[in-house]
Amino acid sequence: MTNQEIWQITLGEIELSVSRANFITWFKNTNIISNKDGKIIVGVPNGFAKEWLENKYNKLVLKALRNSIGYIKNVNYIISSSPEHQVKTRQKARPKKEKINLDLKEQLDIREFKKDEKTNLNSRYDFGSFVVASFNELAYAASQSVIKDLGKIYNPLFIYGGVGVGKTHLIQAIGNEVIKTYNDKNVIYLPSERFCADLISSISNQTIEKFKDDYRKFDVLIIDDIQFLAGKEKTQEIFFHIFNGLYEKNKQIILSSDRAPKAIPTLEERLRSRFEGGMMADIGRPDFETRLVILKKKAQDLNINISDETLSYIAINIQKNIRELEGALNRVFAFIKLNNIIPNQKQLTKILKTLISNPQKRTNYKKIAEVVASFYDINVSDLINRSRKKEIVKPRQIVMYLMREELKNSYPSIGTRLGDRDHTTVIYACEKIGKELENDETLEQELNLIKERLYNNIV
Amino acid sequence: MKIICLQENLKNGLNVVQNIIGKNLTLPILNNILLITDKKQLKLSTTDLEIAITNYIICKTEKEGGITVPARILVNFINNLPNKKIEISIKNNIIYLKCDNFKSNIKGLDIKDFPIIPKIKNEPTLEVNYLTLKNALEQVINFTSFSDIRPEITGVFFNFSSDKEIKIVATDSFRLGEKIIYLKDNKINKNNQGSVIVPGKTIQELIRILSNLEKDEEGLVKISIENNQILFNFSKIQIISKLIEGSYPNYQQLMSKQFETNILINKEELVKAIKLSSFFSSKINDIRLKIDSKKSLISIFSQDIELGENLSDLQAEVKGKDLEIIFNHKYLLDGLNSINTKRVFIGFNGETSPGIIKPEGDDSFNYVIMPIKL
Repeated sequence: MTNQEIWQITLGEIELSVSRANFITWFKNTNIISNKDGKIIVGVPNGFAKEWLENKYNKLVLKALRNSIGYIKNVNYIISSSPEHQVKTRQKARPKKEKINLDLKEQLDIREFKKDEKTNLNSRYDFGSFVVASFNELAYAASQSVIKDLGKIYNPLFIYGGVGVGKTHLIQAIGNEVIKTYNDKNVIYLPSERFCADLISSISNQTIEKFKDDYRKFDVLIIDDIQFLAGKEKTQEIFFHIFNGLYEKNKQIILSSDRAPKAIPTLEERLRSRFEGGMMADIGRPDFETRLVILKKKAQDLNINISDETLSYIAINIQKNIRELEGALNRVFAFIKLNNIIPNQKQLTKILKTLISNPQKRTNYKKIAEVVASFYDINVSDLINRSRKKEIVKPRQIVMYLMREELKNSYPSIGTRLGDRDHTTVIYACEKIGKELENDETLEQELNLIKERLYNNIV
Repeated sequence: MKIICLQENLKNGLNVVQNIIGKNLTLPILNNILLITDKKQLKLSTTDLEIAITNYIICKTEKEGGITVPARILVNFINNLPNKKIEISIKNNIIYLKCDNFKSNIKGLDIKDFPIIPKIKNEPTLEVNYLTLKNALEQVINFTSFSDIRPEITGVFFNFSSDKEIKIVATDSFRLGEKIIYLKDNKINKNNQGSVIVPGKTIQELIRILSNLEKDEEGLVKISIENNQILFNFSKIQIISKLIEGSYPNYQQLMSKQFETNILINKEELVKAIKLSSFFSSKINDIRLKIDSKKSLISIFSQDIELGENLSDLQAEVKGKDLEIIFNHKYLLDGLNSINTKRVFIGFNGETSPGIIKPEGDDSFNYVIMPIKL
């Protein structure tokens, strides 16, 4: 029997021997905190309940407990706030209707200033809420050593990974941690877009030197989504100078991007080599267990009780993006709050439908063949004939890969369509392309471009 | 039980404890006041299971005992008696009151059913002069939030982390007041340094009781904290309350020391001008402050499309950048009214950053106010 079950049985017995009012007042929100060697510790919500149970109901509680589980030496009471208790009081608390201003003007409130004005860091992001697992442990470990030894070991620290895997969380957490550890460090966090905007306004105000000097004063410079510098030559140049200035003075630079420096198009060579000169750490995709841990943590923060099945359902169905994971959880949370019931499997599927099932992409074999052929500048018929020329084999394999991935065709049927090839040829092609995609950034870009054309009807 | 006491003493004693009694339907005994003899004094207690107030009053005890009596009827009856001796006796849970030529009896409930008021065994964390405490609390109490969405800001934050001062803070997320009490010799017990959030209701009750106390310049309040409870103990009265759990917003980052725009201005003139402007402000209570450092001028402007508009120009000492900034006039007035000096200092850092208002030459009170965004 779990502690919860024991307490349920005990409460059932106690309820029979005290009045309803007394039962509600004194036993609401109580629970068993520990049960060891016949000593039971009961958590109660406040001092009044503690005094009352200790002095008035101790015998009754003891008797009921003995009836339900046998030998008990004694019972102690401590004041604790169990999670359920907090949830309940929160539900009880009904917000007063606040005046809603339809005006465009807006009263700022302090919550918006969770963001520190000076450093731009959001204090919500810290390491306490950062889940470390195999997919991000390298990045995490690098961050930790950066904090320990600012500007010395890993400079710059370059974190890259897909959308919504926690890059921003990690680099902001570094910033917050640095502030906590050292008192005198000047930290600044900027999305690269903000950096550009500031730069442009300084160019128009002709204060570009001041702009550069301002940045050189920082001990830790954190720039998020650095890939947006791509194609902005003047910005890259200024950034290059700032980067060098800081680097020479051993100031820590931390950058994040959605891809490796190599894969950022039109990034100047000198910047690229500098980015690669420090520590590059990638954040991959979280595995199922990690996703589950993240969901559990998040559910705890939101103070909701969601069954493990529900959480694993979300974790199974949303695989790539932690942000979407949280979004799904929020939906379930909103559903529970609104309807006051825990959703069953059917309802759950309905709630999360829009998140889980991707919008149906419509394409067909012919289109794929056409787009790929025109992309690589060959004839559609070349895809079908027996030629083994390198410049034809690759597009052919890409067509096979796309038919498999996008259309979910079977291997034999793909083979038949492309000039009666054996299904093993197709399997080989799909595996090859899949493998190359992991390592070859250019191939990935090519595929993205092809897909873009495929679905945007550009041929 | 049989005791004799003066009507005035009993009346005052009941007034101290009766305010927290509301209507409790599940446990009717909470609507009662506990009267019990204790060490030759009469002890009065009330509780709503979040706060409990106990008050001792002087009386002549002839026979020990106790009872709980419905508060409203007892208070009303005692308040309207002449200031003469009252004889109180109890038999079979009925209280018999006799004063002059009035006699009455009220049905009560057994003391065994009255909640046991928790005790705090810890040494007091600190002692502080009660007038100082009262004034400090009055300065910030109006800034607490009433919305239960964020329970942690419905309370008043006490920070005892340094041994020389107590910081008392309240906010509703639109403005924030911080008062620092500097302790001279009443140092904070080192073992108990930390911070707590005390419910706003408890603080209001505390202020009410402190205001009704007899003036005693030397009077001290002892504050003890244990097990999520706080005890305010002054000689005859004890207030014990639960604390609010949660972490208080990290407000320190709002307290800038450097300002782009620095203003020194006569407080009364400013209050008057804001009041005048407030009549013309639109539904969201917005008034616009225009600060001109060259002319040393602050213009206060408000406009309602249907009503009309108002503009006041005030002379002030201004240093730094010119600025136009919009505030809710109510929040401005609340802050200014908590300040007693002739002139106030106001600091701004641009039109979307929090402004700070404080008394001239006094760092113990800071009022942070968030602007309205255009």
